Amino acid sequence: MITPSAGASASAWRLDSDRLVTFALAAAVAVPLFLFVLVPLADILMLSFATPDGFGLGNYVRYFQTPKFSRVIANSLVVSACATVITVVLAYGFAYAMHRTAMRWKTVFGLIALLPLFAPSLVQALGILFLLGRNGLINRAFDLGIDVYGFWGIVIADVLYSFPHAYLILSAALAVADARIYESAQMLGAGPLRVFRTVTLPATKYGLMSACFVVFTIVITDFGNPMVIGADYNVLATEIYNQVSGQANFEMGAVIGVVLLIPAALAVVVEKLVSRRSFAVIGDRSQPLTVRPHRVADRVAFAYSLVVCGAILSIIGIVFLASFVTLWPYNLHLSLRHYRFEVQNGIEPLWTSIHVSLMAAGIGMAVTVAAACVLRRLGPWAAQALYFLSILPAAVPGMVLGLGYILAFNDPAHPLHFLYGTLLILAICNVYHYHAQGFLVATTSVNQISRVFDEASAVLGGGLLRTLARVTLPIIWPTVASVVVFFFVRSMVTLSAVIFLITPETQLAAVSVLLLDDSGNQNQAAAFSVCIMAVVGAALLAFHFALRWLVGRDVALVR
Amino acid sequence: MTGRHPPASPEPGRGDPHVFLSLRQITKRFGHVTALDHISLDIAEGEFLCFLGPSGCGKTTLLRVIAGLETPDEGEIRLQEGRLDAVPARQRNFGVVFQSYSLFPNMTVARNVAYGLECRGWRGTRKDERVRAMLELVHLADQSDKLPHQLSGGQQQRVALARALAPEPKVLLLDEPLSALDAKVREELRGEIRDLQRALRITTVMVTHDQDEAMELADRIVLMNQGVIEQIGRAEELYEQPANRFVAEFIGRMNVLSGFGSAGEAGLIGVRPEHLELIDGAAAGADAIVGRIEKSVFLGSVTRLTLRAGDQRLVVELRGKPANAVPGATLAVRIPPQSVHRIRGAPP
Ligand SMILES: Nc1ncnc2c1ncn2[C@@H]1O[C@H](COP(=O)(O)OP(=O)(O)O)[C@@H](O)[C@H]1O
Ligand SMILES: [Mg+2]
Repeated sequence: MITPSAGASASAWRLDSDRLVTFALAAAVAVPLFLFVLVPLADILMLSFATPDGFGLGNYVRYFQTPKFSRVIANSLVVSACATVITVVLAYGFAYAMHRTAMRWKTVFGLIALLPLFAPSLVQALGILFLLGRNGLINRAFDLGIDVYGFWGIVIADVLYSFPHAYLILSAALAVADARIYESAQMLGAGPLRVFRTVTLPATKYGLMSACFVVFTIVITDFGNPMVIGADYNVLATEIYNQVSGQANFEMGAVIGVVLLIPAALAVVVEKLVSRRSFAVIGDRSQPLTVRPHRVADRVAFAYSLVVCGAILSIIGIVFLASFVTLWPYNLHLSLRHYRFEVQNGIEPLWTSIHVSLMAAGIGMAVTVAAACVLRRLGPWAAQALYFLSILPAAVPGMVLGLGYILAFNDPAHPLHFLYGTLLILAICNVYHYHAQGFLVATTSVNQISRVFDEASAVLGGGLLRTLARVTLPIIWPTVASVVVFFFVRSMVTLSAVIFLITPETQLAAVSVLLLDDSGNQNQAAAFSVCIMAVVGAALLAFHFALRWLVGRDVALVR
Repeated sequence: MTGRHPPASPEPGRGDPHVFLSLRQITKRFGHVTALDHISLDIAEGEFLCFLGPSGCGKTTLLRVIAGLETPDEGEIRLQEGRLDAVPARQRNFGVVFQSYSLFPNMTVARNVAYGLECRGWRGTRKDERVRAMLELVHLADQSDKLPHQLSGGQQQRVALARALAPEPKVLLLDEPLSALDAKVREELRGEIRDLQRALRITTVMVTHDQDEAMELADRIVLMNQGVIEQIGRAEELYEQPANRFVAEFIGRMNVLSGFGSAGEAGLIGVRPEHLELIDGAAAGADAIVGRIEKSVFLGSVTRLTLRAGDQRLVVELRGKPANAVPGATLAVRIPPQSVHRIRGAPP
């Protein structure tokens, strides 16, 4: 009589405890997202709409009417549109060469194209100045009087900076194709140009749209390059910094922040629509396109890729070079004097950066993997809400998030005010700045676990632990590792969010580069950039070989 | 019905006025795989030819060589005495229909059909009328504004056919155009393809692994195996005078038996299941084969029996449902002399 009812209550209790764990985990994921993403955003929105006579559009009307502000907006739009068109066209050509021709050196080109991802954004501008600036190599050697400061400087620097992002998106779009459609066009009499116009371009339309929005957002929210090379060509991202850091004008900062939210949010929406639309294109019965050698096309593609990669390499290379000579470009004797870092905090910020990046990597991995895990156990509504919260940061530019953090945590009344000015808040800011991308990678990995888990436990029954050790771990490690690497690398090179949150004691490496450049120590800025890139490179190599050793195969760390 | 003569395939030589498309010694290798091994073939104008054979035997590759989508390693192709080898695919003006998924997904049905016309500079009402006529030909005039994904598989293949035929191609090439469709639609479309081909008198080559399809549609069948042509001929020729064991066994069913007096040089004879005659076991003569029934399958108009006689197995098809045709029963059959095929070139 007792046994059945006891059994029933035991299972009911276990059910409850399961739900409790899920609930606790969901709360552990959702509460920080709420605190570190939603609240700062809400603070910005509130401030931008707050006027002496209640909430309204007063601030917007006021700022939009000042000629200076409208010029900054126009500047931003023009420079971003221009850089977007150039970047997307260049990246399309490069991705086309990589996927649709049989040119040589594809592996090398593919790696070089990703290099700008591993350097702070202002390195491009720094390199361009070493080459084309007032005291750059070209002007010194040929006395051409080239003036690269301002509009064109920003455009060139941001094209180089955003190139790998566009390339990755377009690469995905051009990598898959159905051979039969191309062969049909050919048999019907279409020449190469017509095939491109009527088949290739429509098939990659969504990828192109997505690349345009993403690049536009990257450029309009980029802060490092315009700071270094923009001179008096003011854009929104530098203006928000000047208003907040220079003049403590938080209201105007908030208004600009909301304006910057618009393209970023649009980019996320388009990206979502695009990934939904592009699934149907390739069916399981389609014939993958195989590239065939073509003497002329392959050579043109090779030459083109050589130029593109040459540009990327030469800008980064010249920064390397400049850091190792006595005084660029006047005295080209090799010297290590710029690596002594005698000004400011010396090399200290690099260690701070590594410290913060390690924290961000750990926290980022934990919260994104937890979010991905708990998402699978929630009901549809809760899952939708958590998913939205998790990818919302993709729509928030770094400058905006950083400003939001000041507004939220600099307020002594805020319960987490004690975080302000610590290294921890820098790490947290980086985690939530890049939460969306890390979360998406983690989701892929967790979905893999569950599938393998289900299959294996169904097939093997008892041998679950063995399965875990032999099958599951090798499968999830690499993806989890790539989440770790992602957060580490981003934290090492990012500038835009943390620029608002550093104190003299918590200065970061990327910020040092900016400050060194600002104070006229370009060669030391270069040396500091080289240190950052060296740390990032070393971390990537270490992870690559550690994973190869542990997992026994190569793992893609960049995606 | 004698099977004693070598297969008489009409093989017009070079310079023959009837030869439209001619292939000589075509060889194509993919790495270590020889997909086509010195293939020679002549196709007459207006002919419907089927490439038939097991999967992987090189049918598609041969079709693609004709289309210009693959470059042969050796050999030459001529179209009405003109060398075709150096002509790129897009200038050959051959129409192609693939198995599936070959319509332009972003274009309406009408624009798909107009594509080849636009490539050749057709404009305005001339183009529109041609598109309309082609869509009427395949009974899809009312679907012209739809996108491919809004059509059924059969409709998509009809559009592909109309698109291929629109620019008045010299040759129509079909690579298993029906194999992705379900049986009923396949049957229907098969009839339509045949009617269209007869009406337009267009030289057509179709790849198929379906023997019925080939026998129904083709003027001549090219039976291929492992990169070579085993036999070329009309369906009846392949059936009645198979050149070798492969052909005999691939086209219809064939019992291949050894140890008979009238055997061919390989020591083998062949006999079709439906040609075996049931005889009275008691009155069995020297030419009788007596065996035990292992399996009996009733197929409606015929009953198919598997007969075990000594160490050989025999398939016998009898009309209707003979009363004693049950597993375990003993049965005597006779091979009528006129039904004996001498089997040559037994494959390894
Ligand atoms: N593009 C290719 N690359 C490598 N091998 C191929 C290629 N196309 C066909 N083959 C090989 O050539 C042989 C003939 O293929 P195919 O012509 O497609 O046969 P079928 O159409 O008769 O099934 C097969 O062994 C196939 O694997
Ligand atoms: Mg095939």
